[in-house]
Amino acid sequence: MKAVGARLPRYDGVGHATGRTVYVDDVRVNRMLHTKALRSPHHHAAIKRLDTSRAEQMPGVAAIVTHTDVPLLTYGHLSALGIPADEPLLASEDVRYKGQPIAVVAATDTDAAQAAVDAIDIEFEELPALFDMRKSFDDDAPQIHHWGTIYPHFEGEMNVRQIRKGNVEQAFEQADRIISGVYRPAAIEQMPLETQVGLAVPEPDGRMTIYSCTQALYFSMGVVAAHLQLPLNKLKFVGGTVGGGFGGKVDTATETLCALLAQKSGRPVKWRWTREEEFLCSSTRAPWHMEIIDGVTSDGWILGRKMLTLHDAGGYARFSPYGVTKHSFHHTGAYTIPNLHFDGYVCFTNRTPTSAMRGYGVTSVSFAVETHMSRIATELGVDPYELRLKNANRIGDTSPNGIRYMDPSTVDVLHAIADATDAELAAPYSDATREMREGEWLPEHLVGQLSHSEDH
Amino acid sequence: MNIVVNGNNRTVESPPLTPLLHVLREELDVLGPKAGCENGGCGACTVLIDGAPRRSCLTAVGSVPDAEVTTVEGLGAPESMSDVQQAFVHYCAAQCGFCTPGMIIAATAYLEGGGSADRTEISEALAGHVCRCTGYLKILDAVAAARDGNFDLSTTAESPHTTVLT
Repeated sequence: MKAVGARLPRYDGVGHATGRTVYVDDVRVNRMLHTKALRSPHHHAAIKRLDTSRAEQMPGVAAIVTHTDVPLLTYGHLSALGIPADEPLLASEDVRYKGQPIAVVAATDTDAAQAAVDAIDIEFEELPALFDMRKSFDDDAPQIHHWGTIYPHFEGEMNVRQIRKGNVEQAFEQADRIISGVYRPAAIEQMPLETQVGLAVPEPDGRMTIYSCTQALYFSMGVVAAHLQLPLNKLKFVGGTVGGGFGGKVDTATETLCALLAQKSGRPVKWRWTREEEFLCSSTRAPWHMEIIDGVTSDGWILGRKMLTLHDAGGYARFSPYGVTKHSFHHTGAYTIPNLHFDGYVCFTNRTPTSAMRGYGVTSVSFAVETHMSRIATELGVDPYELRLKNANRIGDTSPNGIRYMDPSTVDVLHAIADATDAELAAPYSDATREMREGEWLPEHLVGQLSHSEDH
Repeated sequence: MNIVVNGNNRTVESPPLTPLLHVLREELDVLGPKAGCENGGCGACTVLIDGAPRRSCLTAVGSVPDAEVTTVEGLGAPESMSDVQQAFVHYCAAQCGFCTPGMIIAATAYLEGGGSADRTEISEALAGHVCRCTGYLKILDAVAAARDGNFDLSTTAESPHTTVLT
């Protein structure tokens, strides 16, 4: 326990401060090739013709990889969680977002690689595109995904992530007020200073060494092994030095295609995305559309909540169903509401596919819930701290998905915020604790929750 | 043509319009300056050219013949770090570290030009540098501490993380 409370230097601090840290882009190997990608210029199009024969003859070109070169083209990164595969490593029949990779070229330098990309013969048939997830439910919405416009595989065969708890209709009948709000946070690019970068080095013993900027080394290793249909012992991953990730480098963006190009050319292959590529087509945090309707008493108890969430997955599912599931578990925020009716949908659009970013699935609902709490306080004329402290999670309360809280910190955090902002709290709010509800902290609508919480 | 990099005379074969960043990294294997955006937007490639901080990604090598170029490696090695480098380590001002070479170059130029420990002035001096990890506060702490010599790697410093921007 010597480290607890001690001030320790970062293990990599000296390397960072003296320019000695070796990032993927700093690794030097002989005969290294450089990569450029042919990316979709369209948001949605069918690929009518793809011919790389002229590009292959260009000077400096060592290998070109298209969908026909990938042993397992479509691999479900979260198939272990029941999310089926839907996204090809390289587009084959259609492109569903601008910047989607179709072919990659490895050449002696980036200029030669780009010249070969420009020489690839490709013909598209542009198709109508969908950008607003609210239109995913329209009958005439462009069909951009082979599963339709809504992800259909929650619990195997449902198109919605649902939570049903208590009796919302009854709660709304008992409520003094119904207060609703709509919350729509936009897409955000994670924007690490280091763009996506990978380097694959074929070894003489038949193995492949892959230098990766991934945030999830063994996850990425599994992804590469699956696409290449190789056993894990044929791959050696070198990572851990990440020039910023923030969720965006959970994606395996470069490693698999570097490995395929290295296999095909027999030479080390590096691929470093430009900043323009990073903004154009690296995954973002999703745009969300959230509608909250709460039944509340005039003194600030929240009796029930109906919530509708739309999550913009972009052109493919990636991790989105997982994100919406996490979101659903957190849709009451740090507060306890016993009667719930939640529907969450993963919508497909022709936007850049979305992925993890810092509190995946939860930051959206935290924003919505806290904004909604302030809206309720304003509309009722109740103090915002008192509203939050009343409904704050306490020991014995249960989460939307029926988990009994053993040690929730909401009350303590609210007290700390009040202290930091010099907010004066009156009794009993100043004396609230995280302990089990009783007395004035246990209104009628929460009595059943406590006695039945073991049932969930 | 020739340039002097961290005190060493180097011959450059690249064409004159090649960005200095590319010459340093790809021709001369000087890897401290980073390619963050290659558009002059992030500051990670910043080097000193004859003592002044410059974006090496926007500097054609032919425009700086015989210049003295200093990168973060030239400010100090792990066993001989400069005050700014030591302060960055001590105050955990480098997290992922990718912006750090540019930050340290800019901070060094600022302090060598007589910059104060005033956090607003430090912020202005570092305004062209993007950091995505630290929220900048630790960087400001480090530069201010380097200005005052207010650090000692052998001791346990008080946490500086309560700094509030004014």
